[in-house]
Amino acid sequence: MQRCLRWLMVLWCVPAFAAGDDYLVELVAAAHANGLAERQEWRTLVHYKPRLAHPGLESQADDQAFFNAPDGKTNPYAELDATLASFFSAPDEADKDRHPQCRFIARYHWLKQELGFDSRRLIEQPCKRFNDWRTALNPQRITLVFPAAYLNNPASLYGHTLLRVDARTQDERTRLLAYSISYAAATSDTNGILFAVKGLFGGYAGLFSLSPYYAKVTEYNDLENRDIWEYELNFTEAEIDRLLMHVWELGPVRFDYYFFDENCAYHLLSLFDAARPSLRLTDRFPLWAIPADTVRVVAEEPTLLRATTYRPARSTVLRYRQRQMPADHIRLATAIALEDSEDNQRRLAALPEPQRARVLEVAFEYLDYERLRGRMPLGNRTGARLHELLLARSRLDVPNAEAPPTPAVRPDQGHNSARVSAALGRQNGRTFEELRLRPVYHDLLDPQAGYNGGAEIEFFDTVLRHRQGGDGLRLERLDVIDIVSMSARDDLLKPLSWRLNLGAARKRVASELNPLVTHAKGSVGFSAEDRWGSLWYALLESELDVHRHLERGYALGAGPGAGVLFDVTPRWRIQLEGRALRYGLGDVHSGSELMLNQRVTLDRHNALRLEFSQRREFDQSTREGVLSWSVYF
Amino acid sequence: MKRLTVAVLTLIASGTAMAAGENNVGNCGPGSKLFEGQSGIMPQVLAVTTNTTLGIQTFGITTGTSGCTQDGAVKSNWKTALFIEGNKERLARDMSIGHGESLDSLASLIGVREEHRATFVRTAKDNFQRIFASDNVSGEQILQSLKRVLAESNELVAYSTTI
Repeated sequence: MQRCLRWLMVLWCVPAFAAGDDYLVELVAAAHANGLAERQEWRTLVHYKPRLAHPGLESQADDQAFFNAPDGKTNPYAELDATLASFFSAPDEADKDRHPQCRFIARYHWLKQELGFDSRRLIEQPCKRFNDWRTALNPQRITLVFPAAYLNNPASLYGHTLLRVDARTQDERTRLLAYSISYAAATSDTNGILFAVKGLFGGYAGLFSLSPYYAKVTEYNDLENRDIWEYELNFTEAEIDRLLMHVWELGPVRFDYYFFDENCAYHLLSLFDAARPSLRLTDRFPLWAIPADTVRVVAEEPTLLRATTYRPARSTVLRYRQRQMPADHIRLATAIALEDSEDNQRRLAALPEPQRARVLEVAFEYLDYERLRGRMPLGNRTGARLHELLLARSRLDVPNAEAPPTPAVRPDQGHNSARVSAALGRQNGRTFEELRLRPVYHDLLDPQAGYNGGAEIEFFDTVLRHRQGGDGLRLERLDVIDIVSMSARDDLLKPLSWRLNLGAARKRVASELNPLVTHAKGSVGFSAEDRWGSLWYALLESELDVHRHLERGYALGAGPGAGVLFDVTPRWRIQLEGRALRYGLGDVHSGSELMLNQRVTLDRHNALRLEFSQRREFDQSTREGVLSWSVYF
Repeated sequence: MKRLTVAVLTLIASGTAMAAGENNVGNCGPGSKLFEGQSGIMPQVLAVTTNTTLGIQTFGITTGTSGCTQDGAVKSNWKTALFIEGNKERLARDMSIGHGESLDSLASLIGVREEHRATFVRTAKDNFQRIFASDNVSGEQILQSLKRVLAESNELVAYSTTI
């Protein structure tokens, strides 16, 4: 029906076109005859996606400048016709590069290829700016860059992705000189809640931008202390051209930035789709796009991944170097970083040159790490001290130390971020079954390979329980946000450990009363690793419970908590944890809890858990044991 | 969420016309000192990785000419200057050790041939104090000092003019 109307429209419009537009009419007719507006290439270039609520398509671009037709955002047919018409525009002498053929250069080249443009009837514009730009990039290969999570910022578990355009003249020593393409929110807000809310709900415009890769490495490795993983991809020269042409088209276009779904990772996938429309990578992320998941689909795409490279963060290097040095050398390194005393100089001079070099290097790395974190331990003398340390090192003829080894498991090889579990358990003598769903992302008991230790981040972890003799399935627990950051302290780095949880869980407030109590929990403390790699933690915990069954409707308490996480074998993890809280405000009472949890990894997608807990609160004692099977997908 | 905002903003926004010739390093923005202090630690809990465009040396695509870039790509006679400006600390560290990716990249930008690489690295390390005279040194000063050091070396004198 729509097609017939389109034909009618064309015939209707014929008299309106000037004589020289006969060719346009022909092209439009040919486009219709070939169904070009329905092709995946067109859908990809204009970013059309099915609308969630109604039938039909809608482009994800939020900028009228991206469309040639007034209804281009929802009408692929009109958009294609209007795009063809725009190619016939008279070039503006002042700025030839603003010509639609250049602004929509990817569309132009695709339509030219499909319809076989006759250059005598449709003059091809030179598009000098694009050509100069492309020449400057000198592309040979595309690499997907994934700055992974870093310690003490679990939100970074979420990750980020960007592209690097590897040049022909480049080798593995000069990757820093390549250009990188990144999609990010255009804002100078850097702070907290407003930033989070606007980022979540499309309050910012997202834009593509270009950076020299070294700037990104400095940003991620040095400033944010994130390990970087580079995935070299096998795109052909023609595919790379399409990708770059499409980046050029997208350059000035606004897409509203959404933290969960239309974020950096998603838009980079759209570039891959433009390069190779058969990939349809963005279709696999209709609801949300976690950067690590997008890396996963790219890495798992047959024949797309060529090679990977690992770039450790500054803090990773620092931790590694510490393990290579005896403890008294580490202490000397800290001392000389902060002070150039005679005593320190003497102790340093007493060391053989190779070890002296290592101590100087660690002293520099440690002091520079502090500087990059915004702490200047020596005030404005910090820069001068760093300079002195480097000068001393330059006088030693000692080769460089080895880099930290590449981890055996890459982030994309870790477990998938969504998890569903079926469980069977017993609480105070009554059996129950549970269904658990955790859409995102990773907790302390999940298999750790590919993830940072001590870090947990979960959204909307949901537990539904059916009790023996009970009334159907009911919500047992819902963790809206759950974040844990247990960064182990060592001789040099002394981060805080903390936890945050917002959600609701059932609490036994009387013998047959088990209401779903809303809570907010926060803890802060320290953690450390022992020589066997177990993580010990001690925290000051606080909890705010809200529910009408509580006296005064709420209870606010605090108290100590502690625990240990250790791996008996690489597949078998045990967690022992306890806490005792005194609720002094609202419903005054005490509560304590002891938990013993175990996880056995079966394979990359499956794990078993056995969880025991003993709780005492409101003079009610609750004993529970649960066995669950989790599947990661 | 990213730092070095002042130097960066000026770098991006600087419409200062590029003066002719290769010696005008300083015209591509004021730059920063070696080992400059960073402002603050980012908020932890609600730190969303929207990754703002206010990063180091980040440029919009198709934004046209802006100081030393054209549509985001660095104009060729500014490449070395901009690289040194953006990599001062890493270059200093690499030079003091006599090894590193930033140093290799600098050598590549200057056009140092394979057979001269070892001498280049050695010469840079031996002259660390001249090239990085203090922690107050600017990108331009580093570049000029490097030029002088190269000019004094028999093997590397040719490169002192290509910078």
